[in-house]
Amino acid sequence: MRRIAYRFLAAISVLVAYSGAACAAPRPHYGGTLRVMLQSAPDTLGIPADATPADYWDMARTLSLIGDTLVTLDAQGRPQPSLAVAWQSDPSDRHWQFTLRRGVKFHDGSAASPAAIAQILGTLHSSWTVRASADSVTIESETAMPSLLAELALPRNLLLKRNADANNNNESRPPIGTGPFLVADWQPGKRLKLAASEESWAGRPFVDAIEIEFGKSLRDQAIALELDKTDVIEAAPQAANASQRHGTSSSSSLSLPVELLALVFSANSKARDPRLREALALAIDRKPIQSVLLKGAGEPAASILPNWMTGYTAVFSVQANPQRARSLLADSRQPVLNLSYDASDPQAQLIAERIALNAREVGIAVQVSVSGAEDIRLMRVVLPSPDPATSVSEAARQLRLPLPAFPAATLGKSSNLDLDLDDLYRAERGLLDDYAVIPLFHLPIASAVSARVRDRETGRPVDWNESGLSRADVWLADSRSTDLRSTDSRSSDARPQAARR
Amino acid sequence: MSFRQKLLFLFAATVLLCVAVISASVYSTIRRSFEQADRDRANAVAAQFRSEFQRRGSEIARKVESVAASEAVQRIALEMNRGGADPGEYVSEARTLANQQRLDFLELVDGNGSILSSAQWQAKFGYPEAAISGAALSEAAVSEGRTPSTSGEAGAFLKREELPEGATLGLFAVRAARVGEQPLYVIGGERLDQGFLSTLDIPTGTRVLLYQNLEAKWDPKSLLDLNGPAAGVDKIAPLVARVRDAMQDTTQELTGVIHWTTDAADTEVFHVIPLTGPVFSATNQNPANLSPAPPSGAQRPLMGVLLVGSSRRPLIELERQIVSTALLVGGAGILVAVLASIWFAARVTRPVVALAEAARRVAVGDLDAKVEVESTDELGELAAAFNRMTEDLVQQKDRTLQAERVAAWRELARRLAHELKNPLFPLQVTVENLMRAKQKSPAMFDEVFEESTATLLAEIDNLKTIVGRFSEFSKMPQPQRRPTQVNDLVQSVLRIFHAQLREKNQTQIVVRIELDEALPEILADPDLLHRALQNLVLNAIDAMSQGGELTIRTATLGDRIELSVSDTGSGLTQEECGRLFTPYYTTKQHGTGLGLAIVQSVVSDHGGKISVESTKEKGTTFRIELPF
Repeated sequence: MRRIAYRFLAAISVLVAYSGAACAAPRPHYGGTLRVMLQSAPDTLGIPADATPADYWDMARTLSLIGDTLVTLDAQGRPQPSLAVAWQSDPSDRHWQFTLRRGVKFHDGSAASPAAIAQILGTLHSSWTVRASADSVTIESETAMPSLLAELALPRNLLLKRNADANNNNESRPPIGTGPFLVADWQPGKRLKLAASEESWAGRPFVDAIEIEFGKSLRDQAIALELDKTDVIEAAPQAANASQRHGTSSSSSLSLPVELLALVFSANSKARDPRLREALALAIDRKPIQSVLLKGAGEPAASILPNWMTGYTAVFSVQANPQRARSLLADSRQPVLNLSYDASDPQAQLIAERIALNAREVGIAVQVSVSGAEDIRLMRVVLPSPDPATSVSEAARQLRLPLPAFPAATLGKSSNLDLDLDDLYRAERGLLDDYAVIPLFHLPIASAVSARVRDRETGRPVDWNESGLSRADVWLADSRSTDLRSTDSRSSDARPQAARR
Repeated sequence: MSFRQKLLFLFAATVLLCVAVISASVYSTIRRSFEQADRDRANAVAAQFRSEFQRRGSEIARKVESVAASEAVQRIALEMNRGGADPGEYVSEARTLANQQRLDFLELVDGNGSILSSAQWQAKFGYPEAAISGAALSEAAVSEGRTPSTSGEAGAFLKREELPEGATLGLFAVRAARVGEQPLYVIGGERLDQGFLSTLDIPTGTRVLLYQNLEAKWDPKSLLDLNGPAAGVDKIAPLVARVRDAMQDTTQELTGVIHWTTDAADTEVFHVIPLTGPVFSATNQNPANLSPAPPSGAQRPLMGVLLVGSSRRPLIELERQIVSTALLVGGAGILVAVLASIWFAARVTRPVVALAEAARRVAVGDLDAKVEVESTDELGELAAAFNRMTEDLVQQKDRTLQAERVAAWRELARRLAHELKNPLFPLQVTVENLMRAKQKSPAMFDEVFEESTATLLAEIDNLKTIVGRFSEFSKMPQPQRRPTQVNDLVQSVLRIFHAQLREKNQTQIVVRIELDEALPEILADPDLLHRALQNLVLNAIDAMSQGGELTIRTATLGDRIELSVSDTGSGLTQEECGRLFTPYYTTKQHGTGLGLAIVQSVVSDHGGKISVESTKEKGTTFRIELPF
């Protein structure tokens, strides 16, 4: 029911946005360089398996400017065409065939042929058997791949070529993709300059170039945006939330919750007794943390997946119950637990200390530290896909929990609206039953964009969190270097807009 | 113990006693002085602590007042009164203000007592603050912008403060910023720890410890010195426990002595000063505050204990120095006493020793011994008296010798008269018979002549015998010494009398021989000793005409042997015993009186002595002692 309402509201929003744009949107024009600042300082243009959430999102958003995936998912988790325009699978979901878009070329001028795509996919997934045919690519596996579409939509499956260097190391070389921008200059850890691709299958972007500066703190980014020295920055969700409430010259936006902040007990944690872990879960009062430390951003959580994905998070109680926690401990002597947090996360220390304070109330001694032998870790987990099954599996992988086993009937549905919630709930509950993980909050990611960065369709400042700058219809309002071009040639259905918060 | 030793002992004892009395007196005085100084130091440190406590309290109160009057706090108070304030905006506000005022603790608390912002524990927002309670803050005080005094001056008070790393003790002050109806309380403070102690001017030999009474049980980590947690201080736990117990009824200061090691110098005297805090309302007690609930009534909780320790080392070292000095002085005194006593004793006892030496000489017969009189004191008089005594003895001896010589001559004359009278009378009668026969019966003269001639010859022989005996006595030979076994002599003599004893009184005289088998040989003339022993045995047999028991004993007495001959005869009177060894004195009818004189002469020539013991009608014993 909630999802029906949600879809209804989203549809209304889109209609209002389009009607507004049709009436009052200024006309977009070409030219200009879009300036972006990011916190992360990557040495290579790739997504490492152990990337922090901040690095993950930075690199995912950066690489999505350069490359494309075979398919994408919309906000509801429905697969949408990208480099593949059609697909089909056999009943066992072991054999998939993707029909590729014709005439697509990599930035180096080579054709994005089925053979080239098959080679890239084969390199990314050694367990797959990828074959190319005349206009399609087939993917085969010995096990069923019901969630292959969601998997292929993940940023790690961006179709990027890397030419090997003299040392036969292709990771250090900039990737070559089929996206709207190509790599013009790459200084590892410092700067990336992207130039508009004239040959992009989605059409030439309005902006001529994008300059991304890496390694900038959130404070420096905010100052730079305030001084008009950059156009797009990251933002702490709580700061973006406050900015939205108070109103500033720049446009701050929050995504849907796409991260999970959770306490994770390490394998050799002293908290071996599940009752102790449950008592800690019951001791934590999430509401003050959300209202004061997160300043309203994020949602108190007791489940892995956010409510916008599942709609059933209400059955996971987020209410603190210190009395119950004390009764669970039953005056038994508890070990002193060491709670560590990510020092690069500005909010983590305060949240960890608050959790330690809550724990002390019920008689659990928790020491907060940045490093050292940890019993519990406060960590963020990326929920990378709108597809709940994929996200919960990815979350389990990051949390080092056993991967949930979904019935085949649950997976491979056309969207999360069609999932069997009972199976999903049971899978998620199974991961949380022994309190090895205590979900705390579902957090959005946030960004702030200067007023001159406009969306082609609405004429308003863009939301980088969801639509991304990879959309070719981002333009700079004060750029006068290039004449207006017709927008008819662009594929408006190539990247469906995600629902905005 | 000799007089000299007595003098030495007396001197040494006197010196020792004097040194001991003086040392004890000095030690007692110094000890009292030290204890007084110790008390003065402790009181000075305690007064300094209180003064510093009040000064810091005033300073904290001033800082808190500055914070309460700051623009930031006034703005927050205004926003709180307007409503709709975002508490998330204030989380780090207290830390900023605390850094500005250099306060260790600072909390902004709303009118309901909930923490808006905490500098010391930012995550503590929303929790109630125990110090803000109806009991602790009166409305009147708040309206005047001050807090009722709970402990020290300017409203500063001690309070336990929970921190992420554990509880600690702080000195706090509370002020209220009142912009609207709802006050905004500012609670600021500073740690009461080693940093606080380091501000005290602590005298040498004194140290200050602060125990933060944060837990119900003794926690050694809560005992701080200037460098942080003090090490090896478990022995202080009983002192703190005593303070806790004493706090039930009084806040009196205590004193305790702690022996850190077996060395007395490692003893420390602690003056213990309890530090109390205010009583907070139990209903507003911070749930996060794990301290025990405050006691009921007006009893203030014990927040800390200040321990001012004074080392006994200087006192003990001085005490040891006194003892060492006393021993040194005592030893020197004894040495001086010995030397002095030697000198003094020599001065005092020299006449006495000379007197003793002279007495010994007199004892051995040297009556010429004289003592030199050097002084006119008692010892001089004694020496003069001794000299007079020896002179008298010499004169007495001369007189005695002369009398004895006269008596001996008289006795000799008597004996000679007696011995010669007997043969002379028959000679006279025989010669008269010859003359009468010549005159009256010449016929019978020849017959009478022959008879008379025989009688005359017999009596002349008798006179020759008497003269021979006297001649023999005068010719006693000097002993020819050689190793001689006296036991063998005894056996030899008994063999001579064996036949005599069997013929005469065979059943009446019993011979008992008790000889020392271990009797050593002596250097003696066996012939002379044989003759002496023979005389004694013969005398004993003669004394037992009616029979009896003859006993001969030999024994070893130190450096000499004893030979005794006893009989159970008629015995002798005391007078007879006194004259027994006088030559020619005899108690027998036909004795010459030379037998015992010969015995005495033999014994004397061997360097021995002879004595006699006799009881009338019971018997007589002769004892001869001879040196080896």
